[in-house]
Amino acid sequence: MSLNLSYQGVNKIFNDKTKAAVHALRDVSFTVNPGELFCLLGPSGCGKTTLLRSTAGLETITSGKIMYGDTDITTIPPFRRNIGMVFQSFALYPHMNIFENVAYGLRVRKVPEAEVKRKVTEVMELVGLQDELKRNPSPMGLSGGQQQRVAIARALVYDPDILLLDEPLANLDAKLRRYMRAEIRRIQKRTNITTLFVTHDQEEAMAIGDRLAVLKLGVVEQIGTSDELYNKPENAFVSNFIGKMNFFSGQIEGSCDSARINGRPIIVSVDHEKNRSDGMPGTKVLIGARPEQMEVSSLASSNSIEGKVGIIQHLGQFIRYEVTVPCNVSEKTMEIDMPQLVPGIKEGDEVFISIKSGKGFFFPQEVSVNEQ
Amino acid sequence: MSNKKPRMKGKDITPFLVFFLPMLFLCIFLFWPLLNTLLRAFMKMGSKFSLDNLSLQGFKRIFTMPIYLSSLKNSFIVGISVTVLSLLIGVPMGYCVARVRIPGKKMILSLGILPVIMPSFIGAFSWIILLGRQGTLRAALNWMLGPLGLQIPSIYGLGGIIFCMTMTYYPFVFLLAEGAFGAANALLEDSAMLMGASRAHIMRTITLPLILPSLGAASLLVFIRAIGNFGIPAILGGETYVLPTLIYFRINGFWDLNGAASIAVVNVIITGTVLYLQKRLVSKRQYEVVSSARSQIRQHENKGARIFASIFCFIVLVTSLLPQITIVIMSFFTKWTGLFPEGFTLNNYLRIPKNSGHEFFNSMFLSLVATFLTAILGSLVAYITERRKPKGAAVLDMAIMAPFVLPGTVVSVALISAFHNNGIIALGGTYTIIIISYMIRRTPYVYRSVVASLTQLNPSLEEASTIAGAHWIYTFRRVSVPLILPGIISGSILTFSTLLQELSTTILLYGAKTRTVPIQIYSAVNEGLLGQASALSVILLLIVFIITYISNHSGKASLSAGLKMG
Ligand SMILES: Nc1ncnc2c1ncn2[C@@H]1O[C@H](COP(=O)(O)OP(=O)(O)OP(=O)(O)O)[C@@H](O)[C@H]1O
Ligand SMILES: [Mg+2]
Repeated sequence: MSLNLSYQGVNKIFNDKTKAAVHALRDVSFTVNPGELFCLLGPSGCGKTTLLRSTAGLETITSGKIMYGDTDITTIPPFRRNIGMVFQSFALYPHMNIFENVAYGLRVRKVPEAEVKRKVTEVMELVGLQDELKRNPSPMGLSGGQQQRVAIARALVYDPDILLLDEPLANLDAKLRRYMRAEIRRIQKRTNITTLFVTHDQEEAMAIGDRLAVLKLGVVEQIGTSDELYNKPENAFVSNFIGKMNFFSGQIEGSCDSARINGRPIIVSVDHEKNRSDGMPGTKVLIGARPEQMEVSSLASSNSIEGKVGIIQHLGQFIRYEVTVPCNVSEKTMEIDMPQLVPGIKEGDEVFISIKSGKGFFFPQEVSVNEQ
Repeated sequence: MSNKKPRMKGKDITPFLVFFLPMLFLCIFLFWPLLNTLLRAFMKMGSKFSLDNLSLQGFKRIFTMPIYLSSLKNSFIVGISVTVLSLLIGVPMGYCVARVRIPGKKMILSLGILPVIMPSFIGAFSWIILLGRQGTLRAALNWMLGPLGLQIPSIYGLGGIIFCMTMTYYPFVFLLAEGAFGAANALLEDSAMLMGASRAHIMRTITLPLILPSLGAASLLVFIRAIGNFGIPAILGGETYVLPTLIYFRINGFWDLNGAASIAVVNVIITGTVLYLQKRLVSKRQYEVVSSARSQIRQHENKGARIFASIFCFIVLVTSLLPQITIVIMSFFTKWTGLFPEGFTLNNYLRIPKNSGHEFFNSMFLSLVATFLTAILGSLVAYITERRKPKGAAVLDMAIMAPFVLPGTVVSVALISAFHNNGIIALGGTYTIIIISYMIRRTPYVYRSVVASLTQLNPSLEEASTIAGAHWIYTFRRVSVPLILPGIISGSILTFSTLLQELSTTILLYGAKTRTVPIQIYSAVNEGLLGQASALSVILLLIVFIITYISNHSGKASLSAGLKMG
């Protein structure tokens, strides 16, 4: 029976009290539920690996607590934590065959030989390597996907309480990645081990995770299911990291769920639920709209902005229009998805774009927001 | 964590225990002896080791008494001349092999290393056969030069020491220079050429500055070895002393430990100063020498250059290999004073089992045991400093590497000073003290070699083991050791083959029971039994060559690593 894994005010500062100090985790607090497949998502250097390694005990955190159930595991040495971990490089032992690689954790635990055999066979079946186990080659002769399975089997064989995966798919090619991520989810659901999965690929995280945490510069920006993060992003960073978001600067007008795009007579109104500004009239806000929440037309309307079509891409279920819009001195490129081709619009044409009524998001104006 | 309760809370202290053991060894057998020597250097001559007897007498003598003063001067002359001459021979030779199209480059490179592998005192006594008072080569040359009124001086004395050391140590410069000239960025030179610079201009403004750091390191190595060398001045010096032979003289002739300690301290100060200066100078000019494919490097095709380069390399190589050839011939004869050796005999070899059986046993036993212990100590310390990174790792690193730059005689003075038979722990004349001195002197070899392997080993392999529940000792045994084994083996082979020919430390520590082959060779030379000395040397060299050959063919890194540490 698994227990909660919770982080309480975790801080990690590398090279503390020196000039080269790096604050890699800032006040991280959240709880992973038993049996959950939890994704840590964020850009490079945001602290995902650090959080994972701290959980395993490979890094000592500077302050805060990591709890497993009621046990404070913060100071327990890594080899006593009963955790399974899959490394990005797989870290398989070149001097052992795959049986010995997988059996390693059992050998450490001095499990009797018959039991080792049974467990290794069982876990190799789980990851779909029963045939390779018969040949029992060195792991160096296996394909990337097979090595990955061995690494997962090795981490699962001693029934760990927690499974940690650090970008386990990064070394695989695109097709194998999609396949393996489904496999990982299948295996995780079968074993029901609480799992932390690190990735910087938002598509992967949304596809695989029960819940996701988005990190930025060591801070947890938002936690939720894929659906919550996509439909109710709490800030501009999350909204643009999970899916694509087009941004406009504007000001609240009248009631707090409508705003005027700067320098234009256009009023955008949003669903009250998605309004994160809570501002008085006149407050500066960032107006966001996902590609499917916008429209392209060859005709002007009272709420439209003129722009110029860049590239038109046919992406199967929808058509993506890239439209450049003049903005202050420079111009911005918006991505707009239409269910089908709009007749009469070609690349290079002048067009009019608009945000569908009631769609879109308001975010507080941030200084460092990644406007596009 | 859930059902299984954590076995223990709190930190794991084993690494600190294991960190503590090597530290303890170093404290007792390195720090304490060195401190002891330092204190002893301030004791009055002949007085007991006690703080009441403090004086500067020892140092005063060094700077006033003629024999001390001349030894100090000689050491400087030898160190500087050997360094300069090695540069003058090694750099052009490195350039010729890297940049001029000449035949047999591979052979030049592999033969070039032989003088370094060969024990330097063996080189010294074979030069006596060639250029001694009745030396065969000297006789021949004097006969040729006679009509011109010229005479070749005999090999004894300062000139001979410098010549012999240069022929021993120039390969350090040659091999490093060859590597640097071969790796210097061809693109940089090409672009300069496109901008219209002449070859000489490019050499002066681009190539030389780029290889300067390598040359600096090589010169330092040569200088340190030259002023620390005992075997060559011991055999060729006669009445001319340098610091290491003076130390030997003070202990062997007068049992003047305090005086020897003062000389050792001066010797270490010189080495330390040079090391420090080199660090200051070189770290300011560290360039990235981006290595490019060797084939891109422009080679001189000019016929004159090719002929000149070939002859130059040939002469240097033959000169530096003459000693090896000489002792092989000598080992089959009784006498070689005229042009040709006389009295062919196999007796030199046939007598070995009876006369030298014990010495061979000692050499093998001491080297094997010391190598085994060194391998354990070196690997363990390397693993701890590299992977566990405890506080004080930098200190441990420095302590381990210090004996690498200490002359062998200094290490033995330190050990005698701390453990002589009137001391608290009496180890004089035992196998133990020799083994300890060997360990202290050779741990850097294994340590360096293992650190190099560890830095290439992805730490996640070890982390995976830790997470799987393995204690670090288990991880070390099952994961790290098997994967760094090549590094341990190549360091150990280097250790073993250099210990077999160790003279400078052993000579101050051996007793009747613990004589080794190099000691026997040394005394045979002193008694004029050159045939016997040669036969013993040939056997010793054969063993060393076979070991080096095997190690070269099993691991590539070993030889270059060995060269850097010599
Ligand atoms: N051992 C260390 N010493 C000093 N700084 C470190 C160390 N390890 C990580 N950092 C710093 O901590 C921050 C977080 O690093 P971390 O490896 O956790 O990022 P990440 O989210 O895993 O990135 P990536 O996606 O590139 O793997 C980075 O700024 C990194 O430079
Ligand atoms: Mg990472």
